[in-house]
Amino acid sequence: MDLFHDSPMFNGVRQMLGAFAKQSIRPIATKHDLEESMPWDLMKMAQGFGLTQTAVLDGRKKLTGQDEDPDPKKPKSQSRISVVGSEELAYGCAGICLALGGSGLAASPVSRMGTTEQKEEFRKLLAGLDEKGHIKVAAMALSEPSTGSDISGLSTSARKDGDHWIIRGSKQWITNGQSAAVFVVWAQTEPAAGRAGVRGFIVARGTPGLIPGKKETKLGIRASETAQVHFEDVRVHTDMMLGAGSQGGLSDTKKMLDSTRPVVAAQAVGIARAAYDYLLDRVRGGTTRGTPLASHQHIMFELAEMNMEITASRLLAHRAAWLADHHQENVAEASMAKAHAARTAQHVTTRAMVLLGEEALQPGHPVEKWYRDAKIYDIFEGTGQIQRRIIAKHLTGTNPV
Amino acid sequence: MRFSLDDEQGLVVQTIKRFSDRDLRGWAADADRAGAPPDKLTAMGGELGFFIDAVPAEHDGMLEGAYAHATRALRGFELGRGCAGLAALLETNVEPALAVGRWGSPAAKQALFGSLASGGLATFIFDSRAALDVVPEGDGVRVTGSLGPAPALGAASHVVLATRDLLLLVDASALTREAITPSGWRAAKWGTARVDARVAADFVIARDADAVRMVLAWSHVSLAARAAGVATASMEYAAQYATERVQFGQAIGTFESLIRLRDDAQTGAHAARLVALHAAWALDAGLPDAFDFASRARVLANDVVARATIDAVQIFGGYGFVNDYPVEKLMRDARPFEALHGDERFNRVLASKE
Repeated sequence: MDLFHDSPMFNGVRQMLGAFAKQSIRPIATKHDLEESMPWDLMKMAQGFGLTQTAVLDGRKKLTGQDEDPDPKKPKSQSRISVVGSEELAYGCAGICLALGGSGLAASPVSRMGTTEQKEEFRKLLAGLDEKGHIKVAAMALSEPSTGSDISGLSTSARKDGDHWIIRGSKQWITNGQSAAVFVVWAQTEPAAGRAGVRGFIVARGTPGLIPGKKETKLGIRASETAQVHFEDVRVHTDMMLGAGSQGGLSDTKKMLDSTRPVVAAQAVGIARAAYDYLLDRVRGGTTRGTPLASHQHIMFELAEMNMEITASRLLAHRAAWLADHHQENVAEASMAKAHAARTAQHVTTRAMVLLGEEALQPGHPVEKWYRDAKIYDIFEGTGQIQRRIIAKHLTGTNPV
Repeated sequence: MRFSLDDEQGLVVQTIKRFSDRDLRGWAADADRAGAPPDKLTAMGGELGFFIDAVPAEHDGMLEGAYAHATRALRGFELGRGCAGLAALLETNVEPALAVGRWGSPAAKQALFGSLASGGLATFIFDSRAALDVVPEGDGVRVTGSLGPAPALGAASHVVLATRDLLLLVDASALTREAITPSGWRAAKWGTARVDARVAADFVIARDADAVRMVLAWSHVSLAARAAGVATASMEYAAQYATERVQFGQAIGTFESLIRLRDDAQTGAHAARLVALHAAWALDAGLPDAFDFASRARVLANDVVARATIDAVQIFGGYGFVNDYPVEKLMRDARPFEALHGDERFNRVLASKE
């Protein structure tokens, strides 16, 4: 029995996206990795599964055909559905999974903090196709060249000018940074207020002064676009500032990470499981020096170890998501899930490459790709060090340095 | 017991370190993106004595007397600090030249050394899974199967192939080759090949398991030294970056967790270098344990380079993941060290059961 999959709803999502990952994602993964290109056709197709660019705004309605119970006190299932689904998509390809979900990073704060009008505007900007016939995507622009782990020191500024804000600064490592039709950019509106002064703004592509910058060549997740974005005195109407009063500051963004970290952890689990399955498949039929590979403890104990780690990582991710769905605090649990899964993905992919030997050096070899994809999971959405800092602070209340 | 270098070794280290810091590091990023070495590599490498340093002087090479593996390991470490892909090309002729020089027939020597003296490349390939079909044919053998991926195989004129207890010199004209560009050591002129060739008796250069073990030991030591160099370089870059990058009001290199990542990697790299040098010294001294030391050096160096390069990317954070900074290349470059000649831990496990 599988504690966390024991429901028709989760099983349905797992089977649907698992089949999609195997049949539609995996066959094109190598191509998009080698070409460093976005899977635009697949992204269009995925909308039919409810994997829309505004899925976060829509809740789980499309994905499962059911509405959440509107009673805020009742348990929800969104986090666990996302965890189950993300593992499957990343099993196909983590880069494509991120391309499919990249807009969700921007949709999430709009969903949490946006007014009805802002949500409508956000949807409107993502409706239809662009001039290349691609679906439209959104970008969350938070990180800056000098602001990676420490997001409190943002230097992008927003200055009030009548009924507009004027935004100035540069953003780094922005998913969909070149292609986005709409950006949610974070800027400091009141330097004296520190974190509380940081606000998000919805900015449409084509707004004067908004300049997509260099696209990065990355180690992995190459089907997901990452770019710099420059804001050179971009005028944004005050209506497009997220949150009001004490609501909507950076602390709300940090809360958001508590809900996304289990999902990110599940993606790392998906990568690890992909490498594990590949290795297991090779071991089943393989021989070395005339003996079956499966007869060697050297190999089988490593597979056993991988299976243990993957299972443990998955359970941590599901626990953190369960807590979120049950409206319980999950800060430390979300960090544990993310840090553990990142380590698992790196360990499993590295060891799988070693055990495969020369074979895995072939250009386009899937395990080599997963080795490169896995690394980012220990860096983005809070590095492994940040996760441990959060867990440690949870233990004693102080930040170790 | 002395750990100091003699005059010749000191000169080699000084020269190669300068070449590595200035030239190899300067070329590394472009060579990686292009998947090819710079044109200057052949000329500059040649001036420094690479390519024919293991070819006997009487065959227009530079080797007089015994080959010095300790000096090669010292040099390999510095090359690894520069660029693992270019280092692989600079070192690729050594095993073939030493093997043919030691056991080869006059015909084999003439074929290989003639090619190397005129600028050719050769490569050494070990059939770690004994997957090739080898059957007697006439006074020689017929060998059939797949080779590689292996560095320099895309451009080599000859392959020294170790399979079971045989060492064979195979002319590249007997191969159906494909040049490939893997993700690590991208400049190293990689290739894969199908072989279906009769190797005449003159080109069966040894029928002796100890000969195979010896060539592997030469290769293990060189790979281990280069891997230690890559690990060292990754932390040179990461340590420098960690002094410049400020988060939460302090240089990230002052956070204890990052001090530890760096320090453990440096400890490992230091140990890996010493164990490789010790194995090289044992080879030069003809000690019976030298093959085992060489294999252990490789096991250690593989672990060290894998961990150090992953942790260097970690210290660089988001910048580590993008191609503008040197460490993501090093993480890719760590892979061939572990893959070539098969999983060395597994090789040891299998050997201990024989």
